[in-house]
Amino acid sequence: MNKLSEGIIKLKWLIIIVVIGLTAFFSYQLKDIKINSDIISSLPDDDPVALLYKNIGEEFGGNDLGMVLLETDDIFKKEVIEHVKQITDTLKFTKGIFTVTSLTDVIDIKGSEWGIEIGKLVDEYDMPDTQRELDSLKYRVFSKEMYKGSIVSEDGTSTLIMFTMLNGVDKQQLAIEIKEKITRLNLPEKIYFGGLPMMMNDVSDLIISDIVRLIPIVFLLIAFILFISFRTTRGVILPLLTAAISVIWTLGLMTLLGYEITMISNIIPIILLAVGSAYTIHVLNRINQCLEKDRKKALQIALAYIITPVILAAVTTVVGFVSFVFGAYLTMIQDFGIFTAVGVFFALFLSIFFVPALISAFSMYKSANRLKRNGKKKKSFLSNNILRPLKNILFKHPKYALTAWSLLLLLTISGVFMIQRSVNMADYFKKNNPTRVTEDIMQEKFGGSLPVYVVFNGDIQSPEVLKTIKETQEYMETIPGIDKTQSIADLIEEMSDVMGEGKKIPDEKAKIVNLWFLLDGQDIMEQLVTKNLNKAIIQSKFASADSKLMTDFENAMETFVTENSTEECKIEVTGMPAVYVRLDSSLIDSQISSLIIAIIMVLIIVGLLLRSVAKGIYATIPIIATIIILFGFMGLTGIPLDIATVLVASIALGIGIDYSIHIITHFNHALNENGDVNEALEETIMVSGKAIIINVASVAAGFLVLLFSELVPLQNFGLLVALSMIGSGLGALTLLPVILILANRKRKFIKS
Amino acid sequence: MKTFKLSVLACAFVMLTGTINYVKSQDVNEILQKVDKVLYSAKDQQNKVTIILIDKSGSESKREADVIQKGNDMRLFRFTSPASQAGIAFLSLPKDVMYIYMPAFGKERRIASHVKNQKFAGTDFSYDDMEAKLLSSKYDPELIDQDNETYTLKLVPKPGLKTDYSKQVMKINKQDFYPVTAEYFDKGGNKVKEATYQYEKVGNYWSAKEILMKDIKRNHATKMIVSDVIFDQGLSDDEFTVRKLKQ
Repeated sequence: MNKLSEGIIKLKWLIIIVVIGLTAFFSYQLKDIKINSDIISSLPDDDPVALLYKNIGEEFGGNDLGMVLLETDDIFKKEVIEHVKQITDTLKFTKGIFTVTSLTDVIDIKGSEWGIEIGKLVDEYDMPDTQRELDSLKYRVFSKEMYKGSIVSEDGTSTLIMFTMLNGVDKQQLAIEIKEKITRLNLPEKIYFGGLPMMMNDVSDLIISDIVRLIPIVFLLIAFILFISFRTTRGVILPLLTAAISVIWTLGLMTLLGYEITMISNIIPIILLAVGSAYTIHVLNRINQCLEKDRKKALQIALAYIITPVILAAVTTVVGFVSFVFGAYLTMIQDFGIFTAVGVFFALFLSIFFVPALISAFSMYKSANRLKRNGKKKKSFLSNNILRPLKNILFKHPKYALTAWSLLLLLTISGVFMIQRSVNMADYFKKNNPTRVTEDIMQEKFGGSLPVYVVFNGDIQSPEVLKTIKETQEYMETIPGIDKTQSIADLIEEMSDVMGEGKKIPDEKAKIVNLWFLLDGQDIMEQLVTKNLNKAIIQSKFASADSKLMTDFENAMETFVTENSTEECKIEVTGMPAVYVRLDSSLIDSQISSLIIAIIMVLIIVGLLLRSVAKGIYATIPIIATIIILFGFMGLTGIPLDIATVLVASIALGIGIDYSIHIITHFNHALNENGDVNEALEETIMVSGKAIIINVASVAAGFLVLLFSELVPLQNFGLLVALSMIGSGLGALTLLPVILILANRKRKFIKS
Repeated sequence: MKTFKLSVLACAFVMLTGTINYVKSQDVNEILQKVDKVLYSAKDQQNKVTIILIDKSGSESKREADVIQKGNDMRLFRFTSPASQAGIAFLSLPKDVMYIYMPAFGKERRIASHVKNQKFAGTDFSYDDMEAKLLSSKYDPELIDQDNETYTLKLVPKPGLKTDYSKQVMKINKQDFYPVTAEYFDKGGNKVKEATYQYEKVGNYWSAKEILMKDIKRNHATKMIVSDVIFDQGLSDDEFTVRKLKQ
């Protein structure tokens, strides 16, 4: 280590130049940084259900269904219908829009004594304007399953204008354009925007607003905490500088490798600011403590001592993040884990190479005298009011701490079994967010907005396949959560009806082909059948985001598919409920697997470091107790496990273990020096305790800023990480010393 | 005398230049009328048509039909292949009356007229595009460009015309007045379709040999290849009846 620290000081200018060069290079990459709010793109390609869902988007334009919802007291009024047409036309004449379906632009198959009409429900050249025409339109809408509750709500107060986007367009740009154009129409009715493309646009706005608002706050907050801790400019600038550089490198690298910012990875900067600055704090702290007169030598000595613990602290944190790579369902979580780990590594690299190089190059040493003075002043507050009383209680009543922790565990453990899970995208928005409001209305008036698809592979024009489609629809509609379904079979039945043969699938293929001929080229066909007629889908919506209902639906459909899927007509089911069910079960799986991986890795690392399995276990006790209490807290307060909060436990483990490591290393060191457990512990608590409190304060404060995030999971994430930092810090200062006292007493007892 | 001569000269000059301008504006209507003449001067016509649908991946599917038509508003379109669609037939009659015959049902049905903006039989042509009405009766022309070989006309629908297009931009062969290309614009001003024509002389008439219609939005195209054209064989109105449709 001495050699390394010598080397660092020798090569300071090279290090500084390389860091500046790399920072310039990665900053330049940032110009191409993109935000990806599309949760669908994060579905894993190795899951057939997810892959099928993605493919439906490409083959049927299904996933990109956007919606404009118009709400008023009565839809069937002349002006309202005209406004619907205005919106419809606005959408239709916007570049990048593929199809538009609305009250004024939807297929209508009518039969009459004189013939058939495959046209539009409303003739755009002869809009209904008399009360009679409006009444007859209303009657028609409410008499047909295809319109009632899917285009016009059953209470007649809202209507949907649905659109799909062309493949390959910039969906977010288009979503913005649509919002602007329709808002500019300045219609008197209430207008809401919904569906995934619009939701994505909203998420992306929120991501940007989070980044823009929160990062400066975190920055200032950490700067403030650093200032009151170090009371020097250097103590504020260096940690923030290294953290900021590591953020630039990480985001630059992500961009360079073609990754985009997601609703999870947008917290990378905040994490790196909070966690990354800690390594520099340790390095600086050590340099400050070294009272050697020759400051250059002091730097070298301090560096040689600090490199190992800092590397260890970083490695355990990296383990916490890397643990998500295994078991996470969404690729965006895996990417987040990898890049945060890389970022932590960058922060580590900078704190042990760049910081000493800077200090030595620009002679930013503090004089030993000033150090002493400062040190004394600082000691007084934390030491007298917190650490000394704490130490006294611990020594007098070691069992108190133990009892307190046991009580806390007992109180919260019941909560662990009450933890809820949330995978519904709509829950990610605050209650008053427009997207959330639209979702609620969709749920209430249009049977939800979670798309469900059943795919049929076979000769779609054969009577057998069409009949199977129809049977599947009838079966689906008996399952709670499914209100109505739509497929090509419905259209063929209607056509058969207007040809005077009754509402059924004809028994002869020839008839079906004849009927098909008239439907060919209708907009709706492209959403229901592939061009080469070997695939068709049932479109439906699921009304609830309730995990149990979705799981029941999944199971019911699975049974149906196994019983009815044949060589001639292969059936597959996908859709958001299927994705959510997988996401839901993956939450638990990935929580368990990432936690186990993290615990084992940390045990191994800490065990190796302390050269003792027992000490390794002692070190993890405070953090594991904290995690149990954390889960209990989540259960009791109703904070659900979701794509963000699922990350907390492993991150808390990775960061929180550092406090225990500091306590145990210091304790060992002190014990070796003077041999007395109590004295060693006293020194440990008084010196390392201070560093831990400062560190807890800065990391927790950094994460608490996420409470101001626009996304609910991130708010919860911030709160939970902050709490677990406080918990593990407190654990390291109370529980761990008691364990050490008791363990050493026992050893003494055995020895004697 | 001299002054008189001069004034005559001046007068003639004014008249001449005035005439040039006058001819120009009349020219546009005349050009369109000449196009109509090229397109619709035959009394009747019989031909075969091969319809090739080309999707965005470039894969093609083929249909064939026999067509007879008379005047501007009578046409019978009967599919002959593929086998599954053989026998399906459309009959268009004056006043936008349309029938379809479905052989598998043995029944005909009248089709409502306001489906004109719908696609014809899954092609990129709408019923509107297939219509044989005089262009000059539907559009107001404006000459927007010309080169050595073509006139470029902007065709704006006459007030009251029910159409999905806000305008067409048509290039016309200067010598023989048949259309070379046509671009179709929606009401938002976006170009939505593009047609390319190939004409050949059959007997006394210019006849469309091939029309390629591209749907720009869908990246889909339809090629209609016309063959076995016979003009003016004196088809009677009786050929265009529901009874004939069902045969």
